[in-house]
Amino acid sequence: MWLQLSINGICLGAVYALIAVGFAIVFSVLKFSNFAHGGMISACAFMGYFFQASFKKAPPIWVTILFTAFCGVLFALFLDQIAYRSIRRNKSPNIYYFLASLTISIIITSILNVFFSKNPLAYPPLFETTTFSIGALKISKMDTMILIISAALLAALLLLINKTKIGLAIRAVAISPETSKLMGINSSMILIMIFSIAGFLSGVSGVLLGCKYGVYPDLGQTMMVKGFIASVIGGLGSLGGAIAAAFLLGLLEMFWTYVFGSLSTPVMTFVVMLLFLFIRPQGISGKFAKEKV
Amino acid sequence: MKRILTSIIVLLTVFALFATGAEEVKTAEGPIKIGSIQDLSGSASNAGRPNAWGAEYAVKVINENGGINGRMIEIYTQDCKNDVTEGLNAYHKLVDEIGVCAIIGPALSNPASAWVELAQEDQVPIIGHFMDEVCTTNPDNGQTYKYMFLCEPSCSQQARDLAEYAIADLGKKSFAVLYNPSNAFAKAQADPFVKYVKERGCTLAASETFGWADKDYSAQALKIVASGAECVFLGDYLGQMLIAYDALRDAGFKGTVIGANTMAPPFANQVKNEVHDVYFLQNYDMLNPSVGNINALVTKHMAETGTASPQVNVGFGWDAVLVLTEAMKKAKDPTDGAELVSLLEQTKDLELSGGVKITINAQHRTDTMGMYIATYVDKQMKIVGYRKVE
Repeated sequence: MWLQLSINGICLGAVYALIAVGFAIVFSVLKFSNFAHGGMISACAFMGYFFQASFKKAPPIWVTILFTAFCGVLFALFLDQIAYRSIRRNKSPNIYYFLASLTISIIITSILNVFFSKNPLAYPPLFETTTFSIGALKISKMDTMILIISAALLAALLLLINKTKIGLAIRAVAISPETSKLMGINSSMILIMIFSIAGFLSGVSGVLLGCKYGVYPDLGQTMMVKGFIASVIGGLGSLGGAIAAAFLLGLLEMFWTYVFGSLSTPVMTFVVMLLFLFIRPQGISGKFAKEKV
Repeated sequence: MKRILTSIIVLLTVFALFATGAEEVKTAEGPIKIGSIQDLSGSASNAGRPNAWGAEYAVKVINENGGINGRMIEIYTQDCKNDVTEGLNAYHKLVDEIGVCAIIGPALSNPASAWVELAQEDQVPIIGHFMDEVCTTNPDNGQTYKYMFLCEPSCSQQARDLAEYAIADLGKKSFAVLYNPSNAFAKAQADPFVKYVKERGCTLAASETFGWADKDYSAQALKIVASGAECVFLGDYLGQMLIAYDALRDAGFKGTVIGANTMAPPFANQVKNEVHDVYFLQNYDMLNPSVGNINALVTKHMAETGTASPQVNVGFGWDAVLVLTEAMKKAKDPTDGAELVSLLEQTKDLELSGGVKITINAQHRTDTMGMYIATYVDKQMKIVGYRKVE
């Protein structure tokens, strides 16, 4: 049983990790919690759903994921253009970013509510049977797919950030945009890249979460809370920390729910977050982001 | 000077009285305004929208047939978003601003339970499908809320009907429940379900819960599988039912899943797992054209709105308007709330859209109606029984 719970917890953690990283990557550079990410996930889930529904025979899921990820990039750049660019230009305090992101998220969710209400829509089943067995263990095929895609994406992202020149530039802008500019780094381009990556992740997350939980306007918002907690526990702005914390959170939730029931699980997760903020505010990663929202 | 002033005041008073009287006469001859509060954009809007359609369509049909003793009905629909505060706003808009004389309520107990005292103060009867008994009976003193009327079996009646079917017809002895205790709809069914199966000597092997924000029920499903329960009861809205069913099957649960009427289509087309051994409540035999007019209603609704599957709530809206307007037809003044209440209390053997007759009892509910039991065969809903536990 404990092994089964561990596998389920890791799969749940993979879902949280995908969201937490989209959250953390924006924080790492712009130092604000981009709550619009939740709204974008919901919007992308709908885009993917209608993309699939527009074909008589649904295209393979990877086509839908790629299409939605591309839409996610365009959507993120559009949001940056209409909401964040002027804040950057005016060098406004970070609280403006926070308020803008929260407002965007609410607007996106409300618009989706107006057009689609809260009725869940469902992607067609991806697999004929939903689980496979290894001995006594039953493993969800959907969870396994999410785990593999998340792991591949997160690994690629970590490689990009830590092993490439672009990643170096991102890290430099994250530390000091002004100094980076003096060193010849085009920080505006880096910011566009950051929003593109976040948009790409929201597109992938939207389709995967939509396949797993159904498509409805609050989808991203509800999952966003877990992503936010994971990014705080991981150390705000740290990608590696967010991933580790997401898996920890998934495992903790799974075991806690099994032993103590689900009603106290939200209390446990917020207590863990508070404990981290009190005892180790720099999170699992050890990096300390001064400006927390 | 005093005389002149007195004369002016007297004249103004007479004029005001005359004007008010004229307004009353005008109102008495004008259309009858009724309200409809439904969830049009909230978490239960998949039920609320057809409910609103059913009520509006009923009004349209009644008006086309001459209205209430020659007077047309105007229906004003408001969105409560399955939220208590929004529901109160909707109520005040209808009663205080528009001036409706009665309200067709939603199939939601959370918002409806907030109107019980307001309706009494304002003398506005509310007729609907808010199944939780707390909407019609004061839980503290057992007294009936005079202005609230339920037009279907209450939550506990429905839960007993389903439990009895599972025990007597399916031969189940060991049960589990998986539900959201924050959802009044789910809790009001799960609690009496548990009570009934225990009273009938069966075992409650597991009682598992989840919250509104939870999206993964696999830990709860694993516990249910480990408990050895033969049959699991689910009682939430469609979104949660889908996750719960898939979690149970993914965890290896091979037994029977039974549930509330929210398991109706499109449930079978939205779950990821194969649908088997599923039984759920239905208020109507919707697919049977020979019973009442429910089949014609859902067909009309599907054609008009493009909805892919038949929606039971179309009948709810229709039935509530039917019950209300039958009382209005007998009233001297169909806009008088107190008179309407007394006539609604006398509702007896009134045939509703499902072909079943309703009689309103002293608790302002009905004990003359039972529930259909449905299942899925090749993803198509099929009625397999009818139960009415006394």
